[in-house]
Amino acid sequence: MLIQAIITGLLLGGIYAVYSAGFSLIFGVMGVVNIAHGDLVMLGAFTSYWLFTLGHIDPFLSIPFSALTLFIVGYGIQRLIINRVVEAPPIMSYICTFGIHLIIANLALRLWTADYRSITTSYCGSHLECAGLVIPYARLATFGMAVVMVGGLYLFLNRTDIGRAIRATAQDREMARLMGVRANHVYAMTFGIGAAITGVAGSLISSYFVIYPQMGLSYTVTAFCVVVLGGMGYIPGALLGGLILGVLESLTATYWNAGMSSALTFFILFLMLIFMPAGITGKGIVE
Amino acid sequence: MIQTPPGRAFTLPRKAVLLAAAVFVTLILVPAFCHQGYALRLMGMIFMGIALASCWNIMSGYTGYIDFGPAAYFGIGAYATALLMVRGGVPFFLSIVLGGVVAVAFAVPVGLPTLRLRGAYFAIATFAFAEATRQAVLEWDRVLGVNFFQGSHGITLPIGPTHQFFYYTFLVIMTVLFVITYLVERSRMGYALKAIHEAEDAAELIGVNTLKIKIYAYAISAFFTAVIGGVDAYWLTYITPNDVFSVHITIKMVIMCLLGGMGTLLGPVVGASFLTLISEPLWARFPYDYLIIIGVIIVLVIVAMPKGIVGTLLEWKVDSRGT
Amino acid sequence: MGPEQNIILEGRGVSRYFGALAALSGIDFSLYEGEILGLIGPNGSGKTTLFNVIVGVCRPSEGKVFFEGRDISGMSPHRICQMGIAKTSQIVQPFTRMTVAENVLVGAMYGGGLPQKEAWEKTREILAFVNLDKVMNTPSGKISIPERRRLELARALATSAKVILLDENMAGLNPNEIEEALDLLRAIRERGVTLMVVEHIMRAVMGISDRMIVFNYGEKIAEGTPREVAENPSVIRAYLGDKYA
Ligand SMILES: Nc1ncnc2c1ncn2[C@@H]1O[C@H](COP(=O)(O)OP(=O)(O)OP(=O)(O)O)[C@@H](O)[C@H]1O
Ligand SMILES: [Mg+2]
Repeated sequence: MLIQAIITGLLLGGIYAVYSAGFSLIFGVMGVVNIAHGDLVMLGAFTSYWLFTLGHIDPFLSIPFSALTLFIVGYGIQRLIINRVVEAPPIMSYICTFGIHLIIANLALRLWTADYRSITTSYCGSHLECAGLVIPYARLATFGMAVVMVGGLYLFLNRTDIGRAIRATAQDREMARLMGVRANHVYAMTFGIGAAITGVAGSLISSYFVIYPQMGLSYTVTAFCVVVLGGMGYIPGALLGGLILGVLESLTATYWNAGMSSALTFFILFLMLIFMPAGITGKGIVE
Repeated sequence: MIQTPPGRAFTLPRKAVLLAAAVFVTLILVPAFCHQGYALRLMGMIFMGIALASCWNIMSGYTGYIDFGPAAYFGIGAYATALLMVRGGVPFFLSIVLGGVVAVAFAVPVGLPTLRLRGAYFAIATFAFAEATRQAVLEWDRVLGVNFFQGSHGITLPIGPTHQFFYYTFLVIMTVLFVITYLVERSRMGYALKAIHEAEDAAELIGVNTLKIKIYAYAISAFFTAVIGGVDAYWLTYITPNDVFSVHITIKMVIMCLLGGMGTLLGPVVGASFLTLISEPLWARFPYDYLIIIGVIIVLVIVAMPKGIVGTLLEWKVDSRGT
Repeated sequence: MGPEQNIILEGRGVSRYFGALAALSGIDFSLYEGEILGLIGPNGSGKTTLFNVIVGVCRPSEGKVFFEGRDISGMSPHRICQMGIAKTSQIVQPFTRMTVAENVLVGAMYGGGLPQKEAWEKTREILAFVNLDKVMNTPSGKISIPERRRLELARALATSAKVILLDENMAGLNPNEIEEALDLLRAIRERGVTLMVVEHIMRAVMGISDRMIVFNYGEKIAEGTPREVAENPSVIRAYLGDKYA
């Protein structure tokens, strides 16, 4: 049972890692704590949901669509709104993203009602059984995607020109500007990419979790926790943080009480911030 | 930022005092002439909003430390009052004060480590604290197998008195907070709070015990937030953890303060009146689109008036004087 | 130095590590009451770190700092300031939205422990002394660079410090302004304040210091009068050598 719980936790943690990586990227580059982050997960999930329900497209195949949709949404949000407050005191961007959260979550509520929805694929019941352990294929595939996405984001930031521009801007906006980087565009790209990868997480989530318009805030909170565990702004840390949190939650749910697992999340978050603000890796940004 | 010219620090502008006193007296007299329950209720809510925004202002407005967890103290106050009144038969006014004391008993140990954190880290830690308290109250009974907080079933308080009672209670609390803010702004502590906001390390270097000052501000803020939570619990007569520890309470406080102008005396008054007055009719007219509209207003105000209403007006005044 | 050789501030074996980097290793120093002690060294040699250790911004990894005979290592910066050591920062940090006078007032009230009314009097006196009285009601974010440097000094003075540590307080000033700044330092010494001065402008620091200490890679490599230091071969090699050899 212990091993089963750990495996379930790792598989869950992979998903956490993906959208938390998006959160971490946005914080690392712009210092924006994106409270609307979970709503981007929700939008990604609903993109896949509708493509599946209306177009019979498998959620794994709809990943590119939700990535693209969310990229556009993210790019637009940054370009139109957040770029205007990025230089202002940080509170402005927090509140601004909270406003965006209200808009997205409640628009979704208006459009799609408060119903809980889920996708039932042909393979959703099938799983791998070995040595008494049960591993659903969908979750395994999801986990694989998750690792690929986080790794891909890391390589993207380190190996491509736009990735380097993003990192340069994160380090020193003025310097990057002098070197010909258009900060506004780079910021919008960053938010777009962060949103796109989060949209992918949403698609993955839609393949085996219930989704509903108000689901966002709790995902945002998980992202806080994951990112603080792994180190704010440090992308590979999101993977580590995601896996740790996934396992911890799974263990709490198995051995104690499912209700306690979110209380535990906050407790960990609180303790981490106080004792290890730079995360377990020690590589997080601490002002 | 209100500038106090040297030497005038102790003298209040006469006109302002007279005006404030006149407003206060008028507000005392209003219920004598106006018996409309709705109007008194609305006024009471505005007072509560102003009081809450002032609580947040004293801490976050002046220091710039963004407290995203005041809902914890609102909830603590609400639950303390409810439990004291229902289980202990403690009178209402004593209960709310005790609720404030309980909040301070939490605020000091919570503040000591968190107030060493900076920027986003403080904001997230306080948010985590508030959510943790909500979860704790929600799950307490189930996990420990007791019957104390009654989880999501909530607690029913004795039926409260009239709207007029709450009108006066909140009027008093609001006025107390207004006076405290006024005094703090001009006191030693006010200067230290502003210095912490501007350059905390520099403040520490010239002798300000920054942690102590921040704890004071945090504790004052927690105390009054809890008192208000207690009064509101009595007014609502029925509370659940999800209501009184809600992140929406935090957000309301933050937004009212921000709309009016952070770190200004009048900011909470303007912001809370504005938000309550626009949200009541909006809520009545567009119950389903209400939160969308509020979201749009928030974004627009932040983008267009980042200094808040009072801050923008002050700046105008300064600019038109040609500084 | 004159006859009074009272040690007011003393460091014994002060080291400070940042990870594997030894920003300070085993520094001994003494500051005599009433003197001006110059501290020089190439970039990154640990001057700012020593100041930070003295005022409590960071703890020494090893060693101790004594002020008037009392061990102050590990105390918090505000305590140390209240005891009588103030520092001006290499990067000026005015409370930008407060007026110049209010900036100084905070120092007088908290560092100097004065009630508000007396603190205002002290503030006015000090602003006149450092020649900032004309801009006293200007928000400190709007004053010029030399004025900001003087504001740093004024805040330190307002705390009634017995020792003031100046970290590159003349950086960015033109020759005339440097002369004025040096006059001001001499006037501050006349008030009975002991000064420790970090400065890259060699002529300035040589001219004003009674004694000097030279750092290189976190170690003290020389100590003596400005002339002795200037002629010390290891100083020329390590320090001036970088630029002039
Ligand atoms: N907080 C810190 N963390 C890590 N390393 C640090 C820290 N502060 C200083 N250092 C390192 O310690 C060394 C000494 O730095 P310090 O600032 O004391 O030099 P300095 O003599 O003041 O130089 P400068 O003349 O450029 O001001 C440098 O290598 C610096 O990078
Ligand atoms: Mg230095």
